Amino acid sequence: MSNRMTIPIGPQHPLLKEPLSFMITVEGERVVDSTLRLGYVHRGIERLCQTKTYVQNLHLFERVCGICSHVHTTTYCQGVEALLGLEVPPRGLHLRTLLCELERVHSHLLWLGVLGENIGFQTIFMYAWRDREIALDIMEELSGGRVTHSCNVIGGVRIDVGDAQFSSIVSQLNDLEQRVEKLLDVIQHERTLRVRTQGIGYLSPEKIRNYCVVGPVARASGVDVDLRRDCKYAAYGWLHVNVALAHEGDVWARTMVRAREAIESLRLCRQLLVGLPEGPTQVRAPRRVPPGEVVSRAEAPRGELLYYIRSDGSDKPARVKIRTPTLTSLITVHDQLEGVETADVSVVLSGIDLCIACADR
Amino acid sequence: MTDLLDALTKLLLFPGFAFLFACAMLFAWIDRRVIARLQGRVGPPWFQPLADWIKLMAKEDILPTGTNGWVCAALPVLSLAAVLTASIYIPVGGWIAQAFEGDLIVVLFLLSLPPLAYFLGGWATGGVYSVIGGNRSLLQYFSYEVPFLMALCSPAILAGSWSIAEIAARQSETIWGVLVQPLGFILALVGLIGKLKRVPFDIPKAKSEIVAGPLTEFSGRKLALWHLSIEVKTVVGIFLLVNAFLGGSGVSGLLPAPITFAIKSLLVLLILSVASVLYARLRIDQLANLGWRVLAPLALLQITVTVWIGVA
Amino acid sequence: MLRLRSIVYLLPDLMRTLFTRRSTVRYPFGPLELPSYFRGRVVVDAEQCRGCGACVRDCPSTGLRLRRDGQGGYRLLHYPDCCANCGQCEASCPTDALHLASAYVAPRLAREELAETLVEHKEERKKRGTRQTHPAG
Repeated sequence: MSNRMTIPIGPQHPLLKEPLSFMITVEGERVVDSTLRLGYVHRGIERLCQTKTYVQNLHLFERVCGICSHVHTTTYCQGVEALLGLEVPPRGLHLRTLLCELERVHSHLLWLGVLGENIGFQTIFMYAWRDREIALDIMEELSGGRVTHSCNVIGGVRIDVGDAQFSSIVSQLNDLEQRVEKLLDVIQHERTLRVRTQGIGYLSPEKIRNYCVVGPVARASGVDVDLRRDCKYAAYGWLHVNVALAHEGDVWARTMVRAREAIESLRLCRQLLVGLPEGPTQVRAPRRVPPGEVVSRAEAPRGELLYYIRSDGSDKPARVKIRTPTLTSLITVHDQLEGVETADVSVVLSGIDLCIACADR
Repeated sequence: MTDLLDALTKLLLFPGFAFLFACAMLFAWIDRRVIARLQGRVGPPWFQPLADWIKLMAKEDILPTGTNGWVCAALPVLSLAAVLTASIYIPVGGWIAQAFEGDLIVVLFLLSLPPLAYFLGGWATGGVYSVIGGNRSLLQYFSYEVPFLMALCSPAILAGSWSIAEIAARQSETIWGVLVQPLGFILALVGLIGKLKRVPFDIPKAKSEIVAGPLTEFSGRKLALWHLSIEVKTVVGIFLLVNAFLGGSGVSGLLPAPITFAIKSLLVLLILSVASVLYARLRIDQLANLGWRVLAPLALLQITVTVWIGVA
Repeated sequence: MLRLRSIVYLLPDLMRTLFTRRSTVRYPFGPLELPSYFRGRVVVDAEQCRGCGACVRDCPSTGLRLRRDGQGGYRLLHYPDCCANCGQCEASCPTDALHLASAYVAPRLAREELAETLVEHKEERKKRGTRQTHPAG
């Protein structure tokens, strides 16, 4: 009871991009306890989708999260296609996966910028987001929108790549790969970044398995889970994914894992474009879905994204349940914050790559 | 009568309030523009710091209930008054308002009042962020102030005088301080970055941890005066460093004195801007480590070397 | 040596950035350009539209509304304040009449002024259109 203070990393805080409530109890400069409250961005999407048709829900689920919008629609479309028994043509699958990988690149660059900003390194923020613009330009060229692409339909994709676009996109991908490699180089060697992120927020593999953490947070502690390699959904059956692993388990390891994943995604993008098969990009989908239930999973930039869809034979879904990866990472923050300094709270919160809109739905 | 008029001109116009205000706005703009260009952005237009100040002066001024309004109003005024008074003894481009033997000590003392006011501002307003920021600012003060003072003592020892004008004049005649004591210059720069609370030492006002530190609860005119005092402190600190290490506005034979002084000040400002783009923010315990394990011994070394040179 | 270099590791990149093109635009001190493939305002080719209502049925929000007058005529209204620019109407239209142009919706002072009439036909439209797949982009 000596000099304990409660710092609200409250709903409004310069650290958070979305509202979240952390109440952190500090004693001097050490964190002693923390509590978490979610729900500030809850929009009732799972209830709302029961009142709209499957076609309308496509655009609703895209807006669950702005950063990983395409992977939400991919998972949803995969689930509904499984219920309908549709088979998406290979060209459609390739284009869908291309956008998934581009989204992974843009999400990891966004996260790197946010990490830099939260440890006071504004230059990394500016550089990472400047390079992220190239990824957003490619996605805009493909789909017409930078953040909400709306190019998935039930049965495939409704975009296509022509010859002129192909060459421009490939050259932009090469440019982006050089820049991301330069960023990786800076992260590895820059002294102040290492000093601020090494040793903070350690999670052991046992804790990862107990809390069912997924995504780069798990891979940074040595737990090798990656749905792209394990499940081979979409076009990943044609690709070989090198999963980035680290064993230190701290925020530094998560930084390295995400940077290496971004470079791997750029390599996969190029492979997808070069090996794009001919043919249609979508098949016609009926409006009514036969009764059934399906669990659809995909690897979002933050980990495993899970959709449970139950249909009852009409053109509106009976129940859609979304389990987003950020929820699993948020549970570990209490353990990570034990005994860290106040200044490291921002580092820990940045390290788990918050996406509260995803977690709250 | 003419004495009074002369004194008022020196205080209010040049090199006093008006000149320092203009310099503060100019230096703030150059700093923001250089940082933006180094980060690949365009940067604000020339009137941005002035526009920000005018906007803050016009805003509503509220304080939390239970705080002492007089204390909170007096603290930014104290901070600004201290730096403006310190500027009286620093030669600018060959002109000086006042000089006497020992004014270096007075200037250093006056420049140590704003951190105290900053810390008191945090305690007076009393929110969680302000108190933590105040604690951090005091800890930071103890980490950088000793190396800073020792680094600024070395030019005085070398010149054999404690008057800033004397030091500058002696250096412009013989050799610049930075060439004889490069370590001292670097230490003074690091200390100045700590004093001005710029990255990597902007720990008390770490935006992503404690919102705005001690200044969280200030708004309106009080905040405008705080920002102005920080910007004027930047100008005064740079002028002090130029006089102590770069030979002041010494006659170089090529260019008139004000131009050389301006060029040297802008050079120091550029070094400060580049330093604030290069690094992440340190943690307070890392700064304390750095200050007492690295900077203070180096400053001691610098003084020892200077005394040895002076003797020999 | 690397340890010493790691203190100023970013410096060469900073100097290089100083001489490359800026990444931010000068708006509002300069113009802002939109690419041709941007999904912006909804425009309708009135000749192709036959009032089937597929766009209205598939719109996720109530951005598009159809008002029939009982004698075969109809009016297609668009509400940009509800519209999400998703492009589902463009994909659902069987006659390829609807497009999302590369332009912004102009701002207005009152919300009601934003609504616009895209198509208005007084007589019945029996012309059959053809469904085409969209060109790339």
